[in-house]
Amino acid sequence: MKDILNKADEPTRRQFMQNAARAYLGVHLFPMLGSSIASAAAEGAAKGAKAKHVIYLFMSGGMSHIDTFDPKPKKKDVMGPSVAIPTKADGIELGGYLPKTAAVTDKMCIINSLNSTQGAHEQGSYIMHTSYSQRGTIQHPSLGSWVVKLGGRIHPELPGFVAVNTSPEYTGGGFFGAKYSAAPIGSPDQGLQDSRRFKEVSPEDFSRRLTLADKLNTQFHNRYPNADVKAYEELYREAIALMNSKDLNAFNLAEEDAETRALYGGGNFAQGCLLARRLVENGVRFVEVQLGGWDTHYDNFTAVEGRCKEFDQAYAALLTDLNQRDKLQDTLVVVATEFGRTPEIKKEHNDGRDHHPNAFSCVLAGGGVKGGIKYGETDASGNKVRKDTVSVQDFNATIAYALGLPHDLVLMSPTKRPFKIADKGTPVTSIFG
Amino acid sequence: MKFLFLIPMVASLFQPLSGQTKDAAKSSADTELLRKSAMEIDRHIAAFYKEKKLSVPEVTNDATFLRRAFLVSIGRIPTAEEALAFIEIEDPAKREELVAYLMKSQGYSSHMTNWAFDLLRLRDGRQGSQATNEPYRNWIRKAMDDNMRWDEFVTSLVASSGNGWDPKTASVGYYTIDRGMPLDNLSNTMRIFLGSRMECAQCHDDPFGKTERKDFYHLAAFTNGQYQQNQEHMSDLWRKYQDDQRNRGQEYQVAQLFWDRIYGMSLSGGGKGQIELPSDYQYRDGDPGEIVGAKTPFGKTVRMSDKKVEGDGREQFADWIATRTGEQFPAVIANRMWHRIMGKGIYEPVDDYIDAKQTVHPELMSHLAKLMHDLDYDLRAFQHVLMLTRTFQFATNPKPSTLEGGDDFHGRKIARLSAEQIWDSLISLSSGDPDKKPVRTADSRIFVGGNPVLVGQMDMIQLSNDVLALETEQQVTAYFNDFLAMVKNGGGKKGKESESMSMGMTAVRKYGKDSPVRASELPSPAPREHFLYLFGASDREVVEGASKEPNVGQVLSMMNGYVQRQLVANSGAHVYKSLEGASSDGEKIRRIYLAILNRPPTEEEMGWMKEEIKNRGEEGYRNIVASLVMSSEFLFLQ
Repeated sequence: MKDILNKADEPTRRQFMQNAARAYLGVHLFPMLGSSIASAAAEGAAKGAKAKHVIYLFMSGGMSHIDTFDPKPKKKDVMGPSVAIPTKADGIELGGYLPKTAAVTDKMCIINSLNSTQGAHEQGSYIMHTSYSQRGTIQHPSLGSWVVKLGGRIHPELPGFVAVNTSPEYTGGGFFGAKYSAAPIGSPDQGLQDSRRFKEVSPEDFSRRLTLADKLNTQFHNRYPNADVKAYEELYREAIALMNSKDLNAFNLAEEDAETRALYGGGNFAQGCLLARRLVENGVRFVEVQLGGWDTHYDNFTAVEGRCKEFDQAYAALLTDLNQRDKLQDTLVVVATEFGRTPEIKKEHNDGRDHHPNAFSCVLAGGGVKGGIKYGETDASGNKVRKDTVSVQDFNATIAYALGLPHDLVLMSPTKRPFKIADKGTPVTSIFG
Repeated sequence: MKFLFLIPMVASLFQPLSGQTKDAAKSSADTELLRKSAMEIDRHIAAFYKEKKLSVPEVTNDATFLRRAFLVSIGRIPTAEEALAFIEIEDPAKREELVAYLMKSQGYSSHMTNWAFDLLRLRDGRQGSQATNEPYRNWIRKAMDDNMRWDEFVTSLVASSGNGWDPKTASVGYYTIDRGMPLDNLSNTMRIFLGSRMECAQCHDDPFGKTERKDFYHLAAFTNGQYQQNQEHMSDLWRKYQDDQRNRGQEYQVAQLFWDRIYGMSLSGGGKGQIELPSDYQYRDGDPGEIVGAKTPFGKTVRMSDKKVEGDGREQFADWIATRTGEQFPAVIANRMWHRIMGKGIYEPVDDYIDAKQTVHPELMSHLAKLMHDLDYDLRAFQHVLMLTRTFQFATNPKPSTLEGGDDFHGRKIARLSAEQIWDSLISLSSGDPDKKPVRTADSRIFVGGNPVLVGQMDMIQLSNDVLALETEQQVTAYFNDFLAMVKNGGGKKGKESESMSMGMTAVRKYGKDSPVRASELPSPAPREHFLYLFGASDREVVEGASKEPNVGQVLSMMNGYVQRQLVANSGAHVYKSLEGASSDGEKIRRIYLAILNRPPTEEEMGWMKEEIKNRGEEGYRNIVASLVMSSEFLFLQ
């Protein structure tokens, strides 16, 4: 991480921006420092806690476990045209669509015994991201928001939580409020859109606008004291600190050489993985990148092959690249999905597979997790968990554990209801080295 | 008086305009009935205050009413002209007249279309297929434009069957967009039209005991068997072209056109009325593979045979939803409309129905369900009634509802505008009244390999009707060869030239993602880097997936992005053009305020803004526009 305290460069611009922010908001910059409960949490941190960052890769739609991380080569009826291939880790096989991932399996811990209570996309994605079932009366914070809330930010100006290509429904701050919501990236190539002052607007006019808006907002807030209105006020503070950051280039993929960009491959997911690496290097706590299109009810094998093409190269590149930069040891890379897919192949849907929350696979790598291992097991056809069931909450508790965050710490919502990062989950500790 | 030049239009602006709507004449509800219905609702609310010993909120001022009425009914802020006309006019009936004006505006159906697209998860394209949802999109758009009665709308979707291109049957998109996942489609049907949550029962008995997995399959039997019409006649032909990986020429493209875009968009049969229990069926009351007949889980029971295929399951199911579920069907849509207009549902979430008796206001809920029924499911008339109530005019209450999961009826709750409302308001400021622009039209040209062919000679409606009527493999092959020959004989070339010309009688009109037109006319869903997406527009993967969660990207966009480019820095923007002819700084400032916040500035504000102009000259107007758009007052509905 770069030295964030050394901010002596560009004194004029910086000073101006800070003044603008002060004028506008009536507060000092860097309100985040010391505002988290991270220091308290660190005291009781688990001994295995080596991770500082999380890169959370979400396979949206329900990734077929049998065709990827839990192949059943002995069961032809379950595999269909899928095959299993050997990997760099002894005794672990992967689906044939993942040749490059097979070459880095020695860095991965494959969990084959996930089990979810939710079999529809919306509910399944929601519980994976929040540890709680969806309710009409409350919006639960997303995992990234929890991590920032409990662990604090690392870089004071860059967002603690960045989401690439995700759905805002699952990356929101919930009852923690807007400042814990992910900063959204639509296209990794464009980075964080609009994070630089519009070129035709002079610093003076920019400042004047903020000052005028501040006057108007003060009036409005006095008339309507309201949490949602307040949230936007906080966001202006965030945004100005961010615009002001000399590390804004963390979002700029053009700084990467062509070789590195090619290593990850093309497309939003691959470049999103590269951006995630840049961001964690610059002190972003949690980056989520989504890859959609896994809802393979229809023509499963063609579709999974296509998805794996997007995934395989980027994922393998990410682990390799992080490792070469000595960042894999403190970055936990998660591959998650809302559920698996049925062992049964639906002929009438052109060899499709349906939703299967009973048993599915997720993967952890880096951040102190042992590589080249499997945890948990499904039965011969991948239908049910046979050994070491990991619930969605256990899985999220394990992520918290890797970061040394207190998975059992209770925080109260504004409506005075108790919540924890992983609800009643308990971490799987045996996978840590 | 300032702004005298506008006065001539003031008088006529909000008078009921004749001939503006297609169904003005057949509207079942006349003004007097609407007014009476509104008073009845107010009586229920008044009784509620009395019983709870609450003070009745005041009625809000004209400016707040104006902005609120525009945003909830037509999804954008008023133009400066509209705002001025309303504020300056002194007529005790002006609020009523404004509501009538809005309900007849083009903007009404645009705003309803966004709602319907979110509800029905309308995406323009389909992953992994050449099939398009365009004709279905257009069907929904037109249904909203025609104010199709809600019961008819729902029935047309749920009982649909036939050709996906034919405007008469394009509602089959309701099923074909979910091809391969009929059970999810069914869960959504129950959820959006009846507020009945059955997603759990797809896989297991509901632990709360409401629905068993077997009930779900009984229900799924109604819609079971969603096939393509006559596609089997093309199977061999398609396989031949599909297997030949080397040849991806025009033959393949035409085959793909037939397979994906004609057969793939059609829906055969009418629902079997029976279904097999799944291979992992785990309860004692049935065996995997056992055939069960259709049966409804509540309301007046409808059953179908498990012995023989009756074949009209979708019609029976649709009829049950709309006419045999008692108060549930009208209550769900009534509550949805209440939520739209009043800002909060009587119960929430609106897709999780609770019986009127268990709501905070049983009499009101039942009354609204009855009103919906009595108004013949005319959603426009129903919303019109709600907007005429005093309840709708209550002053703003910044505190959240005191009741978890519903309206406490105590003043208007403050809420951020939806992404579409913000977009539609911004483009009004940048490009003027968007409802004067023509709407997007359906594109039914025939595309082969990305190029339109046979334009002016034949369109997809004709072609698909021809193809779907073919009854044997020989007929398909013969037709295929003839059509291919037509295309090869220069249909493609000709098409290029006439692309911009008329297609039949109407030109094809489509808008790119950055066009300054209503969100309802833009590609769906908005791309991920789009302003709409940033502000939480639904990706239309899940039912009503829109979000109003703030994030830092939104604020950056307001300060440095789209808002700058499109509005603040755009000298040609409508808001600047409307300053022409203004004689003083004060008048210009007043016009800017009317355009953006739809109210005149206060004296204090006028002082700040004049100071800004004094310091910065002309550039100061940009700063004023920027600050007003960045203000919370712009972003929130009061």
